[in-house]
Amino acid sequence: MAAKNTENRNKILYPVTSIIVFILVWQIIAEFLVGNPFLLPSFTDTVSAFLNMVFGTKGTLLNDLGYSLLHFFIGMFFALAVGIPVGIAMGWFKNVNRALNPVIELIRPIPPLAWIPFAIIWFGLTNAAAGFIIFIGAVFPIIINTYTGFKGVPKVFIEAGKVLGCTSNLNLIRHIAFPSAVPSIISGIRISMGVGWMCLVGAEIFGAGSGKYGLGKNLWTYYNLHQMPSVVVYMVILGFIGIVIDQLFRYYVNTQMLKWQEDL
Amino acid sequence: MKKVTGLFLVLVVAGFVMISGCTQTSSDTGSGTNATGTEEINFGYQPSTHQLAYMTAMSKGWWEQNLASYGYSIDSSKNEYQFPTGAPEMQAMLGGDIDVAYVGAAPVLSAISTGLDAKIVGAVQTQGSAIVVRPDINYTGPESLVGKTIATFPEGTIQDTLLREWFADNGIDADNDVDIRPMGPGDAITAITAGQVDAVFLPAPSPTIIQNDGSGKIVEWSGNMSPNHPCCVLVVSGKLIRDNPDAVTEIVKTHIQATEYNKKHLDEAAGIYANYTKNTKEVAEQSFENWDGNWVSDPNLIVDGVMSYVKTQNELGYITKNLTKDDIFDLSFYEKATSSA
Repeated sequence: MAAKNTENRNKILYPVTSIIVFILVWQIIAEFLVGNPFLLPSFTDTVSAFLNMVFGTKGTLLNDLGYSLLHFFIGMFFALAVGIPVGIAMGWFKNVNRALNPVIELIRPIPPLAWIPFAIIWFGLTNAAAGFIIFIGAVFPIIINTYTGFKGVPKVFIEAGKVLGCTSNLNLIRHIAFPSAVPSIISGIRISMGVGWMCLVGAEIFGAGSGKYGLGKNLWTYYNLHQMPSVVVYMVILGFIGIVIDQLFRYYVNTQMLKWQEDL
Repeated sequence: MKKVTGLFLVLVVAGFVMISGCTQTSSDTGSGTNATGTEEINFGYQPSTHQLAYMTAMSKGWWEQNLASYGYSIDSSKNEYQFPTGAPEMQAMLGGDIDVAYVGAAPVLSAISTGLDAKIVGAVQTQGSAIVVRPDINYTGPESLVGKTIATFPEGTIQDTLLREWFADNGIDADNDVDIRPMGPGDAITAITAGQVDAVFLPAPSPTIIQNDGSGKIVEWSGNMSPNHPCCVLVVSGKLIRDNPDAVTEIVKTHIQATEYNKKHLDEAAGIYANYTKNTKEVAEQSFENWDGNWVSDPNLIVDGVMSYVKTQNELGYITKNLTKDDIFDLSFYEKATSSA
């Protein structure tokens, strides 16, 4: 019982201590070693900027958050809607893989920011344009991991499925291959969410969406005005929201989709 | 197979070593002493006809030639940095990578208010930006833009400041009556060409490029919006001013020399501009013909206009300090440059 209490206490103590030490080191370096808020804003400068953004008359933080999440979910929705079926088709049907692989390998290395001109031309300065840049960043990890997951389905599972009457491709994919590939697909989604979130700044710097709001958009605004404490606030919030999204996804996946793994 | 892998790894490591060796120049940290023992000065500029004086002086080797006697060497392959807009240019100057900048006056203000150690020592040009609307829009004045989407340079730039000031002067709320979208010149040209925005407000030669493509028509030059408004300026770092004031005077002299040369040799200036950018000489010539800009060098001409930007930027919340003329300008170098000429 005592060991469990110590373990529980350590679970909180270590991360909290590490964050407090990080903040102290940050403050000391910024205040006493660097001494220039442009080169490195201190923690207190950043907190002051944060309060100004939340309670100040020109603060737009909550609107920024709403728009950025909208852009992210548009991008992720289409990345999932396209990435998973394409990955499945490539992993299951050899000829589909032969046909699509060269095209995907050609497009995959193109950086998402290089698509900005076509985001403007095809989607205009809309939320969909920002979502498109996130989609480009997010879709390929999903395709690759889904493909890999399907290629890795043990043959014995498929043969067993056939023996038990699961003969059509649709049934084999649905009842045998997909459940087997789920861990790989999920890790692909996690990677793609990280990449998609990282694309957010690029997705919002060209006037897409409302043109006024977005974490990436206003991070760039403060950068243009050289107000670095505010830039750090947006960076920290981007990091924090990224963690929250990942944790929520992991919690959902672990409790809903991968619960069977706990019993192994 | 192992030998091949080993050879590959050796090549990769050797490549990294070579690349890191090649990139370790003195210019990485702004001005500094190079291998030959001379100091280097780094220049920042934007590929606009506004800043042609810089390009002419560099193309003709005047920077190198005129500053050599002060112990400086300037090589365009190492000491010049091109920026799409003024904000990142000023960010580079704040970071100490740029010693001399050709840049819009407005980004200088936000940079100085956040601690940039530099002064405006010369004017570069006045006016020279234009509102371009889609061909189907019937423009009769600023009220025609109500409800429209307008792409322009980001917050804190000359174009953003001027546009917002102009709308306010005409009783239009820039935040609610129009939709101003901040972006770089390439994105703005793409947006109006694709019909995704109704208008753009950009510096020359972008308005001419758009008009030539048939994607828009120039309806308002910035001189009509704010007569003789300051645009680009010559900024020198405080370090260079303190370390070698005579060299700064020479920089101003070289700038005056290039400015006057461009005015007298428009055809050659168009060629220099075309060589410096991916635009054609024809576009540069047309831009020189139809713009309302003036290449100038006397900073006294722009003091009042720049101080008016200070007021506007304070009202917009872009800067929080109430900058004085002495915080922004050092007019003494222009006086020295012209008195000894």
